[in-house]
Amino acid sequence: MPSVKNWQLGREMAYPYDARYPDRQFAFVFNINRCIACQSCTMACKSTWTFSKGQEHMWWANVETKPYGGYPRFWDMKILEKLEEANPEGQTWSGGLSEERGKPYGTFDGQTIFEAAQRTLTPDSARVLGYLPTDEEWNSPNIYEDNPVGQKGVRNKLSETGEQLPVHNTWFFYLARICNHCSYPACLAACPRKALYKRPEDGIVLLDQEECRGYRKCVEACPYKKTMYRGNTRTSEKCIACYPRVEGKDPESGGDPMETRCMAACIGQMRMQGLVKLAEDGTWAKDRQNPLYYLVHVAKVALPLYPQFGTQPNGYYIPPRWVPRPYLRQMFGPGVDRAIERYTDPDRELLAVLQLFRRSNKIIFRYEMKEGPKVYEGTLHGKPVTLYNDTVIAYGKTGKELFRTTVEEPVHVRPAIHANSI
Amino acid sequence: MPYDDPEPDDPHILVGVSLPGDETVTREMAAAFADEFAQMGFDRDRLLRLFANPFYTGAHAARQLLGDAEITRIVVESLRAYGGRAYVVLDADTEGDEPEAPAARRGKRALRVL
Repeated sequence: MPSVKNWQLGREMAYPYDARYPDRQFAFVFNINRCIACQSCTMACKSTWTFSKGQEHMWWANVETKPYGGYPRFWDMKILEKLEEANPEGQTWSGGLSEERGKPYGTFDGQTIFEAAQRTLTPDSARVLGYLPTDEEWNSPNIYEDNPVGQKGVRNKLSETGEQLPVHNTWFFYLARICNHCSYPACLAACPRKALYKRPEDGIVLLDQEECRGYRKCVEACPYKKTMYRGNTRTSEKCIACYPRVEGKDPESGGDPMETRCMAACIGQMRMQGLVKLAEDGTWAKDRQNPLYYLVHVAKVALPLYPQFGTQPNGYYIPPRWVPRPYLRQMFGPGVDRAIERYTDPDRELLAVLQLFRRSNKIIFRYEMKEGPKVYEGTLHGKPVTLYNDTVIAYGKTGKELFRTTVEEPVHVRPAIHANSI
Repeated sequence: MPYDDPEPDDPHILVGVSLPGDETVTREMAAAFADEFAQMGFDRDRLLRLFANPFYTGAHAARQLLGDAEITRIVVESLRAYGGRAYVVLDADTEGDEPEAPAARRGKRALRVL
């Protein structure tokens, strides 16, 4: 099996195909601290792409409550369990964190889903360690999460007082997920028909419906379970990253690349998507003023989801501040402590870049900061903090200014009498 | 909405697994919510209402565990740092329409009514 460079793991790893990288890569950052699981993203995707017969169980974008929930149920617990069985006690990291772009989280010493498959599966039958979820696991997203248990025998009625509803007596957080459009997609690696491909212009992973014969090898292989089988067409389908929007072909865009539907619908302002430049070796090319590059490689507050799977996912998450660290380290790798420390006590630039989230639906390719006056000096959660009302300016693909905003951007509200009028 | 509790013998349900949510974790969660919503322009009343809302389960559970006084302290601390946004009321053509508590802000900005 060829060897490819996985910068998230800080080493070379086995992958069924030789490395090939797009010019730019579709990538996104989700700020978990802000997600309220309103499911606006979920419904934006559903109402755009998966509303047809045979797609009822498909949620290309979903939000699940961790640690209870998952769609399909137990997806991450099951694949983590399989990796642990393949390499008991060996799924560890070493080397410590660094500021280096090619090795920011140290080195992963364990086995990826590709490497574990070489050792545990018959090579001809499978290239990727995975499993096929049952129908039952697909059919009830969000079941037993933080929604209340209804009264026995009474359907479709909520408790009138609310306070009586049962609650989980522990921590939890909401994890929003879409396809990670991985640099080394497991779905692509597993397909015997080569129906899956990665677009050279933006790294979006697509599934050719003409080529697919519904073997479901991709469904089995994707560790994030973001390829789904459609019974009535007998083919598999997956998130297409709203590619007409990303290409700038949406009539609303005026030719400029636009963020996906799920990003645009986010009322919690926790999602930002972009197209990052790649270097020849597949690492992110230095692009200091790109907001995603800044969050992932400069501030290092945004981390990949389960990097140890080895697919080099292009979805990054700002981890939730309050969740016990061992759980977060398992989910986002060793960079968690550094990320939370920096996010909880943001510096001037980070605070300004965080204002870029959801101020526009067009993709931001570059930002600039203009320093503003000091507006607060004091303490916050026991630490000294100084805030400045800086201005941050976002630019699009052509270099045209998209918008500018300030750290203390005024909030525009309608009076209560017109709150819901259009 | 599920109508039954999970089956206790389902091997994948987190029954008997210890995932403690102690006071420290809860306080950090409450502080995170207060910081984030203050940055999004919530004022003191809206923030306190958020913690009082039983359907916003995380915030509500924090209020139940820590109590009103502690939640108010956390909210006030967050607003001191992040509560400096001005409110601008659009379409204020009706008499008696008051903007949401600009006085609760740091008072650095004048209110503009468009």
